[in-house]
Amino acid sequence: MSLVELAFVVNGESVTLSVPPFATLLDVLRDDLELTGTKYGCGEGECGACSVILDGKVVNACLVPALECEGAEVLTIEGLAFGGKMHPLQQAFVDHGAIQCGFCTPGMIMAAYALLEANPSPTEEDVKRGLEGNLCRCTGYRKIVDAVLSFAGGGA
Amino acid sequence: MNSQSSVVSHQLVPEKQRAGQIATKDTLIGKRIPKLDAPEKATGLARYIEDMKLPRMLYGKILFADRPHARIVNIDTAAAKAMRGVRAVITAADIELVPFGFGQDNTALKKDKVTCTRDEVAAVAADTPQIAAEAVSRIRVTYEDLPVVASTDEALAEGAPVIHAKTPDNVPFQFDYSHGDIEQGIRESDVILEDTYTLGRQAHCCLGTSGIIAHFEADGRLTLHSLTQVPFLYKNDLARIIGVAPEKIRIIQPPIGGGFGSKLDIHPFEPICVFLARATSRPVRLCFTREEEFRATPTRQPMVIHLKSGVRKDGTFTFRDVRMLLDNGGRTSWGATTPWISMRTFSSLYRVPHVRQHVDVVYTNNIYACAFRGYGNPQATFALESQVDSLAEVLDMDPLELRLKNAQKPGETTGQGMVLGTCGLADCLETATQHAGWGKKRRNVKTSKRQNVAAPNQPDRTSFSRDPMGSASTDLSSHRHIAHGIGMASLFHVGGGAKIYRSDGCGTILKLDDFGGVTVMTGSSEIGQGSETVIAQIVAEELGLSISNIRVINNDTELTPWDVGVHASRTTFIAGNSALRAARDARRKLINAAAARLKRKPDDLDLRGGKVVERSSGEPLESIGKIIRGLHFGRTKNELVMTTDFYEPPSTAPDKEQKGDISACYAFGTHVAEVEVDLETGVVKVLRICATHDVGRVINRLGIEGQVEGGIAQGIGYCLAEELKVEGGRVCNPSFTDYKLFSTTDLPELDVSFVETNDPAGPHGAKGIGESPLIPVAPAIANAIYNATGVRMTELPLTPERVLAKLKEAREKETISD
Amino acid sequence: MPLEQSDRYLAPHTVQEATQDAAGQGAAVLAGGTDLLPRWSKGVVKQPDALVSLKDVEGINGIARINGEVRVGALATMSEIASDPIIRDAAPVLANAAGRIACPQVRNRATIGGNLCNASPAADTAVPLILLDAVLDIAAWNGSSLTAREVPVTKFFKGPGATVLAPGELLTHIRFKPLAAGAYAAWDKFGTRPAMEIAVASVGVAVRLDGGTIVHARVGYGSVAPVPMRGRKAEVALMDRPLSAETIERCQAAARDEIAPITDVRASEGYRRDVVAVMLGRLLRNVES
Repeated sequence: MSLVELAFVVNGESVTLSVPPFATLLDVLRDDLELTGTKYGCGEGECGACSVILDGKVVNACLVPALECEGAEVLTIEGLAFGGKMHPLQQAFVDHGAIQCGFCTPGMIMAAYALLEANPSPTEEDVKRGLEGNLCRCTGYRKIVDAVLSFAGGGA
Repeated sequence: MNSQSSVVSHQLVPEKQRAGQIATKDTLIGKRIPKLDAPEKATGLARYIEDMKLPRMLYGKILFADRPHARIVNIDTAAAKAMRGVRAVITAADIELVPFGFGQDNTALKKDKVTCTRDEVAAVAADTPQIAAEAVSRIRVTYEDLPVVASTDEALAEGAPVIHAKTPDNVPFQFDYSHGDIEQGIRESDVILEDTYTLGRQAHCCLGTSGIIAHFEADGRLTLHSLTQVPFLYKNDLARIIGVAPEKIRIIQPPIGGGFGSKLDIHPFEPICVFLARATSRPVRLCFTREEEFRATPTRQPMVIHLKSGVRKDGTFTFRDVRMLLDNGGRTSWGATTPWISMRTFSSLYRVPHVRQHVDVVYTNNIYACAFRGYGNPQATFALESQVDSLAEVLDMDPLELRLKNAQKPGETTGQGMVLGTCGLADCLETATQHAGWGKKRRNVKTSKRQNVAAPNQPDRTSFSRDPMGSASTDLSSHRHIAHGIGMASLFHVGGGAKIYRSDGCGTILKLDDFGGVTVMTGSSEIGQGSETVIAQIVAEELGLSISNIRVINNDTELTPWDVGVHASRTTFIAGNSALRAARDARRKLINAAAARLKRKPDDLDLRGGKVVERSSGEPLESIGKIIRGLHFGRTKNELVMTTDFYEPPSTAPDKEQKGDISACYAFGTHVAEVEVDLETGVVKVLRICATHDVGRVINRLGIEGQVEGGIAQGIGYCLAEELKVEGGRVCNPSFTDYKLFSTTDLPELDVSFVETNDPAGPHGAKGIGESPLIPVAPAIANAIYNATGVRMTELPLTPERVLAKLKEAREKETISD
Repeated sequence: MPLEQSDRYLAPHTVQEATQDAAGQGAAVLAGGTDLLPRWSKGVVKQPDALVSLKDVEGINGIARINGEVRVGALATMSEIASDPIIRDAAPVLANAAGRIACPQVRNRATIGGNLCNASPAADTAVPLILLDAVLDIAAWNGSSLTAREVPVTKFFKGPGATVLAPGELLTHIRFKPLAAGAYAAWDKFGTRPAMEIAVASVGVAVRLDGGTIVHARVGYGSVAPVPMRGRKAEVALMDRPLSAETIERCQAAARDEIAPITDVRASEGYRRDVVAVMLGRLLRNVES
């Protein structure tokens, strides 16, 4: 199997590694870079657990061939907190009870992050549509939507 | 829906002031406390099973039969074994086959015959997951296919193929229950209704798929990183299957990506992983793909319930006669036992003098079922609460009035022998309906010509045209296609554990460090439900410490004392009581030490804000840390503050007739659902759910709301969309593409409220809540659909296609009768 | 992933290079990958020997108005199409459909070229393009030079997963004329939940009225035949008639008759016929007279 070199930026750090042509961004993040905050939930873009930000846009890492990220910038859940302090959006999830088993949480937060970057004052409907690709089995979504809305309302 | 109208509301029922305790003190009880493990989950640092790697760890993969019923003629593993990177390939021939499961009809790997598609036939351990998958695909199994028994009807037909030789009639279990005299009940009835309800397979859909890591230590001890909900029972049961003494098995539970009952049994992949670790002398991790999760983990128990009920003209219930038929699939997990819980709802949600239940559990070649939030109760409640509405209609009574008339009351002993100390059912009925505007919104189905049809505010309000782009708004023919309705359902469930095993207890070990830091080791597991936070709150409250001083250890059987497991909505009640009692002992020790040191009477002192204070004035006297250090480094006597407790609830195991006070207290609740039905497509949209639960007392308001909201969401899914379809023994929709989980855009408006009955047995008066919120959702929605359309839906899930078919059927009947 | 293959990853920079690479033995063209990746990883289809990534190919992305036509590059993503001012102005029906595919994560990666070339009967952008009489530009390398041909969207699909593209042929652009002034076009899809839905059925309709009479009609369907299909009988039922309740009923009957849905795990044949008729009726009733 031929490996191909991949150079890109993850959470602000330059990374160079060799990957097989069919490796997904999810494989590389989890297995090669040990950034396991990005979760495998379904492997076919149906659950959003692997949501990351690729060049400013939210994507499912399981649907992105790693080599398509050459030269790109990727932001994962591990890149949000800084200096031992959670990003305010993460804090909003904690404070609003938006986390139960927590498995969907990283993807949910990244999708919310992208939503808020594009639309800093979303309506409830905007938040629901922005998170429609992220499944949660525990919370029933109410507290997740509330957490994002609270942040939108000047939570930062 | 705008965000204002959807704000969750809470009704605070005035609490009894408890003597001298709360008045001058800030309490943590009832507050909104963020989950203790939320920061590590929010930052992505929590390491779930799929995130864990051990040095030299191998990856396991299972070969499933993928055929419903067949004899295994030969298994050729040579090609798989020859692959580079493959470290072990095992089949039934390589292991000792010890039967397990409730029916003792399962083994880790199958030897002679497979009885469902998910049967495990062989397994591989390899250097990478990719090699393991490739190796599994190279195992050649020769089967001789046998006739497939695809339904209970086929299984019960004369001359049906025998699935398990020891059960020639394909009926491994029958359960019977009765109280009173059905014949008398029939004689006393003015109205008798008889209906059949069909309940489908719901998949747990934990966002984290199943997984395990098995690792033998140098001395032969086995460490398992396992997602089990019942570590202590699991250890015991697993020991027998894998031939390792239970005391040599250590269970460590990483953060668990969802449980909901799915991890209540031992699943074959778990011993298989142990066998692979043994065969390779290396750690082995075995994690499922999503497709495997759908195909090879059990579901909610599907069943057909035939229900016959009687009532007097004045609305008094007379009798209930229940027959249940369970498709047990090809093996037995806990699904077969769910009728034990179903019967409690039939016997005891309302006062009914005469109840009888007969259950047949039938082998088929379908996939099998296990525990799932509610444990047979959602199925029973769907049947019962649907039929209660039908009875109300025949009697021309408001369904609320009929329920209130028959509702259990505090102090009663139900026909099944359950003693209801506290019972907030009537309060729940009144509160939920009041919040929902029941009187105003409910319209009599008969007088509105059976269809409450209203012109929609917008032309397309269901899943049509959410985006108005490209649509115009003029409604050409004032076409009416949306019907609006409201419906209700109540629930009864255990609230103080369930004495199914000889002990329903939980242990706690509590220790304080020299600075007032507390470590609580509890037997009860955290599966996302927030038990660790409730336990920390209870301990912090007792010791007058901040919640940040409390650390809860709950995931390692080497450290934590015994607990029966996370099930039966028992953790807040049982583990909470145990933690409370351990904390009370520690508190007594601290108060006594402080009293001696400060030369005060113990009764004059209290612990608040990390300090010993004067009870009456709240004046701080000494830091708690100083008191602890005084004990530890004392001049005359040296001691640490460490306490232990084992709490066994005052409940009794059911007798041979299934009667007895199985739980220390009981939970009640009522949901009211408002729906819109699209009469042309059958799409049901849930607009609002008002949920009121008797929870005894709220401990963590944030956590309990989360339990209720999440339970409602699972209930809506169960009611409207979720069904793992099985045809000819094969799963048809093993993906989130075709198994529909609801997403944010389906979220209805929620109104969650609590009735606080302060149960004397509960910690601070609390009862269990975990399962309750799912239970009444489906019948509340079905009753609302009936109110909207006059169509009675009896088969879950209520997919648009099924609803439309019933609507058409009703229209055809109307045309004929016109 | 299978282990023994001699897989290669190619990232051409021009259409010519891309067509040359794509013509290679066992090559597969990769655009957004949202549809292909899961099928490879689940083993539904065999992984190709060579992966030809289009991400660096110049000139096949973006959306422009050229000579009175709208030209959409095959690499335009669903997010871009949904929010693009040119599309929202010239063909809001296409923006609507693109904005309702799956979820933001998928819309940010999925391309219109990929949506068409995968040839799913449920392809959400196909029906709006049928309404717009869109034409697809196809490039190929004939051994010595780059050739081009154009295919109407209605002729592009051959069956589930199959198109008229020969090996080495590359869909480069989609072109269509803006909706005529006074024309109305709308599209809707039906699924059991709003988000992440693969359409159980989808319907689009475009009409223009003159003096109360329908003088132009286009109808299209998704998920009710082996390919996204144009509803010619439904169009006939509309043409030269007033947009009356009776016309709508005739059109619905024609639609029921001409579609060829199947029963699968998502819905039955009969139910698909029902919802197509219902959606068509609703779309038509919403036309401003």
